[in-house]
Amino acid sequence: MNDFNAVLTRAFAEAPEPADDGFSVKVERAVAKREQSVLWLLTAQGFGLAAAAAAIVYGLMGVFEIYGMELLAGLGLEVARAHGAMTEVSAINFTSLAAGLTQVLFVAAGLAGGAVVYRASQQ
Amino acid sequence: MASARGFLDLATASEAALIVAAQARDQRAFSELVKRRQGWARALLRRMCSNAAEADDLSQEAFVKAWERLRDLETPAAFPGWFRRIAVTTFLMAKRRQKAVFEVIDDASPIADETSTPEAAAGAKIDLERALSRLSDAERMCVTLNHGEGLSHSEIVEITGLPLGTVKSHVLRGTEKLRRMLEAA
Repeated sequence: MNDFNAVLTRAFAEAPEPADDGFSVKVERAVAKREQSVLWLLTAQGFGLAAAAAAIVYGLMGVFEIYGMELLAGLGLEVARAHGAMTEVSAINFTSLAAGLTQVLFVAAGLAGGAVVYRASQQ
Repeated sequence: MASARGFLDLATASEAALIVAAQARDQRAFSELVKRRQGWARALLRRMCSNAAEADDLSQEAFVKAWERLRDLETPAAFPGWFRRIAVTTFLMAKRRQKAVFEVIDDASPIADETSTPEAAAGAKIDLERALSRLSDAERMCVTLNHGEGLSHSEIVEITGLPLGTVKSHVLRGTEKLRRMLEAA
């Protein structure tokens, strides 16, 4: 049996398939076709993502038209409030009453803006 | 071999260089690789299929799969074993589509005497390919992988997913049938 196994192994080794250019060309075409379809798929995915992004931007623009001004006002007031808080320490040294009032007004406006934003968000 | 701009001289490039280039999606390099490896791949599948046209279709399918998965190949030296696995999987999937049964063998029942069949009795010359075509799909696959590709039983188990006992039985029975057929020729 072992001798036959050796004979069998040799028989397998002695029967190579001759090269066929037609086969190589067929594989080449199949691979090219595959790559083409992958390219189309990626392009379609790109268009799909772009369309989805455009739809999201369009939707956000609609929301911004309604709440945009309030949001910007709220943001501006928050910045002002932060600025006020940061300069509060140095305000002690202010000799001008007007400058002090400005700080107070900034803080008050910030609080009012925050309240408006909070109320808008709750609604 | 490779110029400063990175283009390969396909005719003289080593297989490893072709594989690396193909992994970078160079279709020309892959075509050259197919030219060099097609004889082996088609012979392997022809022996497993015993149908030349089907084997060539499966070989083409296996090469296209290899192109798609080439980036998964870790080292070019592993290409033969890696491609063999793809070829065997492609063959098994085709057989499953055809509802072929890769039976699990538990018994050690005696093998039917092939010399008693009318074909064997006719005394016609039986070559390896023809003898292989008389085996079952599972026996042909296991014998081809064992004797043709030099895989051990456990390696065949790993590739095919068949139980070890079944693989051993298929190899033993298939080899014994081949011996009887070839000796009778």
